[in-house]
Amino acid sequence: MTHGSVTLRFWMSAVVVLAGVGFVQRAEAVPSFARQTGMACEACHTVYPELTHFGRTFKANGYVLDNLRQVRGVNARREELLDLSQTPPISIMAQVSLTQLQTSVPDVQNPDIPGSAQNGTVDFPQQISLFYAGKIAPRLGAFIQLTYENDAATIGMDNADLRFADMHILPKDQSLVYGLSLNNNPTVQDLWNSTPAFGFPYAASNASVGSLAATEIDGTLGQDVAGLTAYLYWNESLYAEFGAYRSAKQGATNALTGAAGPLDGTSSNVIRGMAPYWRIAYEYNHDRHSIEVGAYGFSVNLLPGATDVPNPLSGATNDFRDIAEDLQYQFLGDEHIFTFEATRIHENMDLNASFAAGAVANLSNDLTTIRATATYYYRRMIGGSLGYFSTTGSTDAGLYPGPADGDPGVVTSASGAPDTKGWVAEVNYVPWLNTKFSLQYTGYSKFNGGGTNYDGVGRNASDNNTWYALIWFAY
Amino acid sequence: MRFVLHIVGAVVLLGAAGWSAAAELDEASASAEAQRLAVGVCGTCHGPHGNSEQPKFPRLAGQNPDYIAAQLRAFKAQTRGDPDAIGYMWGMAGNLNEAVMNALGQYYAAQKPGSGRRGDAALIARGKEIYEHGIEAAAVPACSSCHGPAAEGGGNYPRLAGQHAQYVLKQLNSFQNNMRDVAIMHGVAQGLKLPEMRAVAAYVQAQP
Repeated sequence: MTHGSVTLRFWMSAVVVLAGVGFVQRAEAVPSFARQTGMACEACHTVYPELTHFGRTFKANGYVLDNLRQVRGVNARREELLDLSQTPPISIMAQVSLTQLQTSVPDVQNPDIPGSAQNGTVDFPQQISLFYAGKIAPRLGAFIQLTYENDAATIGMDNADLRFADMHILPKDQSLVYGLSLNNNPTVQDLWNSTPAFGFPYAASNASVGSLAATEIDGTLGQDVAGLTAYLYWNESLYAEFGAYRSAKQGATNALTGAAGPLDGTSSNVIRGMAPYWRIAYEYNHDRHSIEVGAYGFSVNLLPGATDVPNPLSGATNDFRDIAEDLQYQFLGDEHIFTFEATRIHENMDLNASFAAGAVANLSNDLTTIRATATYYYRRMIGGSLGYFSTTGSTDAGLYPGPADGDPGVVTSASGAPDTKGWVAEVNYVPWLNTKFSLQYTGYSKFNGGGTNYDGVGRNASDNNTWYALIWFAY
Repeated sequence: MRFVLHIVGAVVLLGAAGWSAAAELDEASASAEAQRLAVGVCGTCHGPHGNSEQPKFPRLAGQNPDYIAAQLRAFKAQTRGDPDAIGYMWGMAGNLNEAVMNALGQYYAAQKPGSGRRGDAALIARGKEIYEHGIEAAAVPACSSCHGPAAEGGGNYPRLAGQHAQYVLKQLNSFQNNMRDVAIMHGVAQGLKLPEMRAVAAYVQAQP
């Protein structure tokens, strides 16, 4: 392998890792919902973006609960043709942050002069988002986010969830909500914060070092797919959902026509056919306690396409089967709020395409991610979280490559193992319900398969420990 | 002339029948809307049939219809100003019309209230004493004089039996601080100390 191709591969890995990190930092809180409902944030959130039972029910009902004066249209049969808020449900969110790594990463711009990249990254802004979040029509609502991120310096599509929902009253006055969600990130439509898209950490640095491995449902395909799912929510307790996703690439063009499609071999990791998604959960509420247990899964076959070099979108695929369990407990008092959230995602991979191409060592691998977070707030004003995270799996030097000669490491794995473990501690001050100041520390005991010299170039897991200070507001 | 009178009489009768039918239709549609709201929106916090499990949100089952309608009007007019009223109910009631507010009152009045809940016997006994006889030295009148001997309320006086003690306590605090603009209760609550409020709250929560 030439030095040039090694460098190319290194940077491709870096791009993949940073793309993954880019997903993790996205989390939302939307004052347009407060404007639309006339209710303070506390009705739907403990502290944003974590949802209360009322917030979950509002979401399941399609974001349509509206207490504003409406512009209305009806026909002669009194059927509603238009029911539109006079105030459009628009919101803006901004994040400004400061990131300090325990040890700076190497500066590889000039191989002849070794040095370090500057530590202490100021992100101003890290992210600014524009939302349309609220009712469109009587049973139709949307949560659509456009985001400017400073790393790409472009405005792009972020999370989106369009919903149709209606409610049927069963005998004994039990509710049955049924609906459809058209969304672009598996689990973004979910009601609980124990699943990946709106899980902890709700905000994370985009100037830190991301690990190599993540399961497919854990944000890997976010904003790159579109899925239609159907759900039932019975008596505000039992939730069941089923649907399927297909690739919906952003920024992809057909090499022949120059149009936005059809997707061709210049795109990478394209879903073959449809990728089924399922979810089941049960929530029990009593007194000030709310507990949820659930499971969810995703099965996706990916055509590698241009993962290494342009390849036609046909032939062998890399197949991923994700099955996950989750748990959430909330205590909602007037003074004290406590939440515990946990999930375990297990993924089996059959890497037929990559194995045939000699890009991975094993035909089959597995990967398991566990996350658990406890959060406490006093009067919704001062609080903090303590979280544990772990991703472990089979060793594959092709999938989690080590450094080649001259590589600066950092995003490599000397052992070929994906194991990354650590904890996150965060303190928050929320002077107003839509303004949050956070200080977060992430500590790693393992990173990309090792504790010491994990990258094969002498970097330790703890060198990636990160201080992150954040100002986060939405209006 | 008689013929004309017949015509006029028939028109008046038909009109009256039509008016009555329209009123019934409106009442029926308000009632259906109220049921839909109670199950699909209000019930999320106030519980199925208004028997809330969460002490933050009051139990509404069996409440007097006039009281519920009056509170909804106060939320809509933004004159009831305790913190949860502002945070939750000002918005919730913002778009309700008079017919639906009345129908919501009727819906909850028709629901079977949950049974009273046990608590600290000594606290409940102290609460019973205050509820039935007031505190003369502090010029606190007997609660029962307005809210009824069984805390069943009546008219604009709310039913208190079975209500969450935590909710009752918060309301007494709000009356004391004048966050709820109710002259009678502002006066009554002035003389109550916190342990006395706790006792009364525990007593009414225990009533069936």
